[in-house]
Amino acid sequence: MAPDSLAGVALAWADQPGDLPRQFESRQALEAELRRLFPAAEGPLSPIRGGRRQAEALLDRIQPARYAKGRNFLDGPVTRLSPYIRHGVLSLADVRDAVFAKLQAPGGGGRQVGEKLINELGWRDFWQRLWQQLGDGIWRDQEELKTGHHPGAYAAELPADVAEGRTGLACMDGFIAELHATGWLHNHARMWLAAYLVHWRRIRWQAGAQWFLRHLLDGDPASNNLSWQWVASSFSHKPYFFNRGNLERYSGGTFCRNCPLSEQGCPFDASYEQLEAELFAPMPSIRAGNDRSRERRDPRRSGSSPGPSAALSRPARRP
Amino acid sequence: MQRPILWIHGEALGPANPALQAYPGRPAVFVFDAALLAGCSPTTGDPAGAAPQAVSLKRIGFLYECLLDLPVSLRHGDVAAEVLAFARAHGADGIVTSAGTDPRVEAICQALEQELPVEVLAPEPFVELDGPVDLGRFSRYWRRAEAAVWRRFTSGPA
Repeated sequence: MAPDSLAGVALAWADQPGDLPRQFESRQALEAELRRLFPAAEGPLSPIRGGRRQAEALLDRIQPARYAKGRNFLDGPVTRLSPYIRHGVLSLADVRDAVFAKLQAPGGGGRQVGEKLINELGWRDFWQRLWQQLGDGIWRDQEELKTGHHPGAYAAELPADVAEGRTGLACMDGFIAELHATGWLHNHARMWLAAYLVHWRRIRWQAGAQWFLRHLLDGDPASNNLSWQWVASSFSHKPYFFNRGNLERYSGGTFCRNCPLSEQGCPFDASYEQLEAELFAPMPSIRAGNDRSRERRDPRRSGSSPGPSAALSRPARRP
Repeated sequence: MQRPILWIHGEALGPANPALQAYPGRPAVFVFDAALLAGCSPTTGDPAGAAPQAVSLKRIGFLYECLLDLPVSLRHGDVAAEVLAFARAHGADGIVTSAGTDPRVEAICQALEQELPVEVLAPEPFVELDGPVDLGRFSRYWRRAEAAVWRRFTSGPA
């Protein structure tokens, strides 16, 4: 077969009528077959390939020390393991053991170097435990919103300009294009996009969560929905939002440089105080401990921010 | 069970799947879940939402490529009906699968049990915590879990 061929491992039992094929001459042939079998499924294949070999290659490349320092940057050394973990190609236990082995190898740096990465695996385990507990209730607000707005103030549907990636904001349109083309986004991009949708556009988090689940290779209602709820503030003490300075820094300025709204009209170009006043209705509980809560939302100052490998695994964090 | 078949679902597409480990070589099946892929299950769509939307081809392709690495027959349709048909075709006396987090896995197991005994094997957990765990916030969970995870680091093999 051609070098690009895809051959399933051999089965020790006979095919039955109606079995789907396990041999393809090329990835294009797989895509054509899937279009035929699943006519309702839109878009192309992802450039991210499934399979154990790909997962193991990524596992080999994990660098716990670099991860701890650089994971919040869009071009930072995140693991990209989330699609493989979500579907059990690798278990969290597999990844944990691989990280431990790296830390214990000569020059591996020991426990301290790996704490951040193991903590992020813990976030996935936490979301999974919650899904087990909540069941399909994971689609409902876990708590009241802390935005000062009534739940009915949020629109039920994804606006067309968002669904089509033509908001006019270079950053958001860039994230949407990547989501649609690859089925994967850096966690920080997921957070920014979620916050934009929920707080700036005032859309129900469920509409955004469903949209992500259609596209994300790692999508499950645990990490995904609960992180949307974290951003929305139905599963956190306060809403997550960001400003231009934060996005510009962690994206290396790549979007702002090419954005038509860079000079004027960027909705994110303001201080956290200004944005808070603009986006949220006065709510005494949000403002309690004002200075400290603001600092915690700004990763530059708190030194702790978002960005695990899992599905919107969990946005920023608090001490 | 002397002649079980294995039901592989979308949370366990790797060699650590406990059903594959416990019964190597037994006929195994994965079913592309028509309702789930149509966005008509809470795994992929808001149950209170007005308009279900089908999952994109990217996700199906990713699953497909993962599945080609496993010894598993591939079907498409209603999961329980397809698994039971596969079991009948192989003269199986039971079905073995792995525990899932998605409540849909448990619901499908209940449907399978109407016809055949089902054995559900637990995959290796990330961390074992005894008794109820407070999941109100991550910090409360992590306060207990962190020490338990790292206990393996100091005592486990390098």
